[in-house]
Amino acid sequence: MANSNLPRRIIKETQRLLSEPAPGISASPSEENMRYFNVMILGPSQSPYEGGVFKLELFLPEEYPMAAPKLGRICLDILKDKWSPALQIRTVLLSIQALLSAPNPDDPLSENIAKHWKANETEAVETAKEWTHLYASGE
Amino acid sequence: MGISLSRRRPNNHHHPQNPSSQLSSSYPTDQPSSSSSTPNYVFAANAPYSYSHPPQNSYPHPPAPPLPPQYYQYNTCGVGMNNRLNFYPPSYYYGSQNNNNNGWHGIRPPPMVSQTPVVPVPYVDHQMAKKIRNDVNVHKDTIKIEADEENMEGLLVSLTLDALVDGSITIIYFAKEGVDCSFTPLYPDARMLVRVPFQKGLGQKFRQPSGTGVDLGFFELDDLSKPSPGEDVFPLVILAEACLPLPLSDEQFDHPRPATSNAQITQAIIEKNSAGAFQAKVIKQILWVDGVRYELREIYGIGKSSETSFDDSDPGKECVICMSEPKDTAVLPCRHMCMCSECAKELRLQTNKCPICRQPIEELIEIRVNKVDQ
Ligand SMILES: [Zn+2]
Ligand SMILES: [Zn+2]
Repeated sequence: MANSNLPRRIIKETQRLLSEPAPGISASPSEENMRYFNVMILGPSQSPYEGGVFKLELFLPEEYPMAAPKLGRICLDILKDKWSPALQIRTVLLSIQALLSAPNPDDPLSENIAKHWKANETEAVETAKEWTHLYASGE
Repeated sequence: MGISLSRRRPNNHHHPQNPSSQLSSSYPTDQPSSSSSTPNYVFAANAPYSYSHPPQNSYPHPPAPPLPPQYYQYNTCGVGMNNRLNFYPPSYYYGSQNNNNNGWHGIRPPPMVSQTPVVPVPYVDHQMAKKIRNDVNVHKDTIKIEADEENMEGLLVSLTLDALVDGSITIIYFAKEGVDCSFTPLYPDARMLVRVPFQKGLGQKFRQPSGTGVDLGFFELDDLSKPSPGEDVFPLVILAEACLPLPLSDEQFDHPRPATSNAQITQAIIEKNSAGAFQAKVIKQILWVDGVRYELREIYGIGKSSETSFDDSDPGKECVICMSEPKDTAVLPCRHMCMCSECAKELRLQTNKCPICRQPIEELIEIRVNKVDQ
């Protein structure tokens, strides 16, 4: 039911995610509801998250792409006030992956987070390593 | 800066950087009301302003006061010029009349703006692009300043142009723009103005004849590398005129350009590259068509959508929102061509920010690139 009337864009995005997956990222739609995606992002090498696998659930609301995908409690500005319909599932997941590896303070898409990361880098890296160890190892 | 270059300056003439600020204060200040839309707005974006604003030649001096963009085009060259896509990446523009000083000085996309509170705009003009036929087109990226092998002092201008008709290229160093696209050399030295005829042909190479070049060493690099503060004088102006090679006389440049003539004017500055060679950098291109002056602006993202017919699987051509329809709508003032018209309308109900750069949307302009019509 939920899969009828699926917008063309969602079908296309899904096809492209499956046929050309971004390295270290997998996203597959749930069979019951094509607006639900099970996402796995590998902790980037040379990052505090290396060796970790991050599992996420992504949901495309009815208003998508005018509204951002829903991604649990991930704090990312492009999922909030900086969302643009020109962004896609792929770009959102790449942004998360990029945040995991090294926040780029010059990337306007993740400006706020990068700023925060810069300010508290040592602390954040430690926390991240700890969490990776605790929650995301040996999936 | 440029000490080694500056030997002497042509004497008893104005300094090229002479500002025209005294003149500009006397401009009429009546701005056209942007709310004066008329029903035929959709097909002729210039309609409201032509009626509500005095013609440009009633202004005593350039530059005219800044106006909102009002003229658009999507194909500078008319139907016959579609062939030139074989030669060169297509250049599409929207033009806006006499908008000197409107804040655009370069050709690069504006930087991503940081988040600032923006009052939502309840209504944004959604216009259809107006098509303007231009018989001559100088490819702005091809303009070079080369050494003259037979006369090492002189430097020659070379370029690539498309011409649907015979015409002429006039190269003027330090030309001042006057009323109705008239251009006057600031220095009446014969070398400062060179006119060369060309025959029609697409993608043709043009080179100023040997021996007619100018020794740019006469000028301060500082003067060559920027326009006058009012942007009415540019160090290098290239007039590409269709038809009617008029007799060469300085006087004619003081007169307003006839409305029947068609010309493309390229205004450039001259810089030195790292190897010490002069190079031209185009700042502005202007069209003179049917007695109207259009300033050319590139639309970002339009090239891909115009290459061939729309292919459903090419992400470069599809609307970034629905990913289904070809993109045909550009956002102004940032000039990002990124949406189909339906999504553009829907977007406007949700936000006033460009999907690509998040700058506030002032206008949407629909540009049908795939339809080849008369
Ligand atoms: Zn669309
Ligand atoms: Zn934009």
